[in-house]
Amino acid sequence: MRLKFDEQLELLNNEMITMGALCENAIATSTKALMEGNVALAESVSDLSGQIEQKERNIEGMCLKLLMQQQPVARDLRTISSALKMVTDMERIGHQSADIAEIVTMANISASSDTLYIHEMALATIKMVTDSIDAFVKKDVAIAHAVVEYDDVVDDYFDRVKNTLIQRLSQPGADGEYALDLLMIAKYFERIGDHAVNIAQWVMFSLTGSREGEES
Amino acid sequence: MIKRIFRSTCLVAVAVLVASLILVMGVQYEYFAHAQQTQLSSQLDLAKQGVIHEGMGYLEDLSVSGSRVTWIAADGTVLYDNQSDWDDMENHLEREEIQEALALGHGSSRRYSPTMMEQFLYEAVRLPDGSVLRLSTSQHSLVTLLMGMLPSVGLVLLLALILALVLASHTAKRVVEPLNQLDLDHPLSNVQYDELAPLLRRIGNQQKQLSLQESELRRKKDEFDAVTASMNEGLALLNQKGYILSINPKAAALLGADKTCVGADLMTVNRSLQLQKLLHAAQGGQRAECVMELGGGRYQLEASPVISDGSVSGVALLMFDVTEREQAEQMRREFTANVSHELKTPLHTISGCAELMMQGLIKPEDEKQFATQMYQEAQRMIHLVEDILRLSRLDEGAEDMTRENVDLYALTQTAVESLRPNAQEAGVTLQLEGESVNVEGIPQLLSVIAFNLCDNAIKYNRRGGSVDVRVYREGTDACLMVKDTGIGIPPEDQSRIFERFYRVDKSHSKEVGGTGLGLSIVKHAAMIHQAKIEMHSVVGEGTTMTVRFP
Repeated sequence: MRLKFDEQLELLNNEMITMGALCENAIATSTKALMEGNVALAESVSDLSGQIEQKERNIEGMCLKLLMQQQPVARDLRTISSALKMVTDMERIGHQSADIAEIVTMANISASSDTLYIHEMALATIKMVTDSIDAFVKKDVAIAHAVVEYDDVVDDYFDRVKNTLIQRLSQPGADGEYALDLLMIAKYFERIGDHAVNIAQWVMFSLTGSREGEES
Repeated sequence: MIKRIFRSTCLVAVAVLVASLILVMGVQYEYFAHAQQTQLSSQLDLAKQGVIHEGMGYLEDLSVSGSRVTWIAADGTVLYDNQSDWDDMENHLEREEIQEALALGHGSSRRYSPTMMEQFLYEAVRLPDGSVLRLSTSQHSLVTLLMGMLPSVGLVLLLALILALVLASHTAKRVVEPLNQLDLDHPLSNVQYDELAPLLRRIGNQQKQLSLQESELRRKKDEFDAVTASMNEGLALLNQKGYILSINPKAAALLGADKTCVGADLMTVNRSLQLQKLLHAAQGGQRAECVMELGGGRYQLEASPVISDGSVSGVALLMFDVTEREQAEQMRREFTANVSHELKTPLHTISGCAELMMQGLIKPEDEKQFATQMYQEAQRMIHLVEDILRLSRLDEGAEDMTRENVDLYALTQTAVESLRPNAQEAGVTLQLEGESVNVEGIPQLLSVIAFNLCDNAIKYNRRGGSVDVRVYREGTDACLMVKDTGIGIPPEDQSRIFERFYRVDKSHSKEVGGTGLGLSIVKHAAMIHQAKIEMHSVVGEGTTMTVRFP
């Protein structure tokens, strides 16, 4: 019985890793599309987002089945319940990556020539997502902590992008639509960073039993 | 084992106790019954004398406890009973002992009384008057006997149990201790029990066999590790579920794994989707391969299923570097495209001009101009084909060209002189300085190097600029330096200018002329002489090319 349960938990773990890899792929692809202004690449992200959504449903189903059939306690319960929460955040990451790609498709913008901090911000966000998945894969609380800390960097980039855009808009002849698109993209990156933080916090919860900021 | 020994010892003690108790009880019961009967008949004899002499009065004065005295008339009516009301009692004539007494003068019987739920002993005797006197007593049953003995029996049982406990634990320990202290690493050195000898011998043999097999296995593993560790390709063996069984250092480095990764799921080490797809195919029994970015290079990954007994029992993952191969392929593709393009352009011009002339659309006074253009394009094609031929000859090696001792300065001077008109046309001053330096080499190739370098320096210069050519000796090396004040080469293009047909500024190549093969030829010619080309260039300031012959 326990053996079967362990097998199912392992399968769940593998599915989560695959979903994480899909998310990493989605945000990396949309960033690349954004940097190169590559519309074809941007269109491929929505496909990835669909795959991620499908995975979310699968994993949710698996979790519910496990909860119902095995009635797990203690660590197993934490693993499964945090998996249930994590897939939601992962799905949001996938979705917001697709949103970024959609802006690239619609507005046909390319940020590569821009002096804004969008590229740095994208790289920082990708690092956060990768690290949060890493924390989950390696079951490492230290990496998860680092992800939570790193959120400040991304927030800081968002403020810089915003301020630069404000300055730019105050100049005569500024392209308002372009600026707003960039702001939206920056906001999406910032949100993805927050989701990565959530994932990291759930990793911590599943490992230690207490969430960030709580006394254990 | 201790438990078992203890349990059996206790069991034996209890069993012996119970058996002896039953035996003793059986013997005792018979003895007691006999004694009671004898006692009863002697009592009856006494009572008989009393009744004969005193009659009813004796009986009424008699006070006996435990025994029942009954006097029965010859017709069976009860005359007296010391325990019940004799008037209500039934006729006793049919009783066995009465019948017996009436017939023989003396009778006895043993009966179970349902009313009293006890066994009774009866003794009856016929009196001289024909009546019968009967005495009865309840017999001690087995249970009452046992009840009486219970405390002492219980005490003995308890004592026996305690004794058994102490003895059993002691014995068990003594028996088991040598077993616990068996030295299984050296099984044959144990001599405690002869009974264990076959077992120990067998263990000893198996141990020997095991250690042999282990060392054999270790040797094979060491061999395998040594082979895979020195491999330039990455190799990983996985079981059918994707867990890493073995991984060589190269593969570990490529996949970003550390030493602890053996036994872990490959997915936790590298979660690339491409890799997952590859493994999935291999786990399904399909051989699969893909090219992916790993550790900063392009690697081809091949996953082949390991099939045993008709099912996939593992996956072998092999990864090898295809960075250079891909680059070479790319260069070849570019080269072919470039050659056809470069050859096609002049042909189009020639064909276009010829067509116009053929149809007579050109005024006679313009004819010369068209002819000139056709001639120039044809010349360009000739140059191009010559360059390509030269290059392909260089590609195949320069075995057929003879090496001789040549003066690099004289050779360079010839090249510079032949380019002087071009320099004047371009408004560039051309200077040659230096000393006579002798080099062992192929004169044709050396002059091509000098010519092409100077030609480029003039072509990619600005009006009013200068080209300084120096031939000198530095240490043991002979050097040819060409320094211009031209447009320079951007850093990102510097590594590529020696590629065939590579142009820094593609849009203006036609104006400048040239085939795009010049530097490529220089590179090959230098390679044949084991010479090194050093380049220093700043955009807008100029380029310095130094060829160093050892």
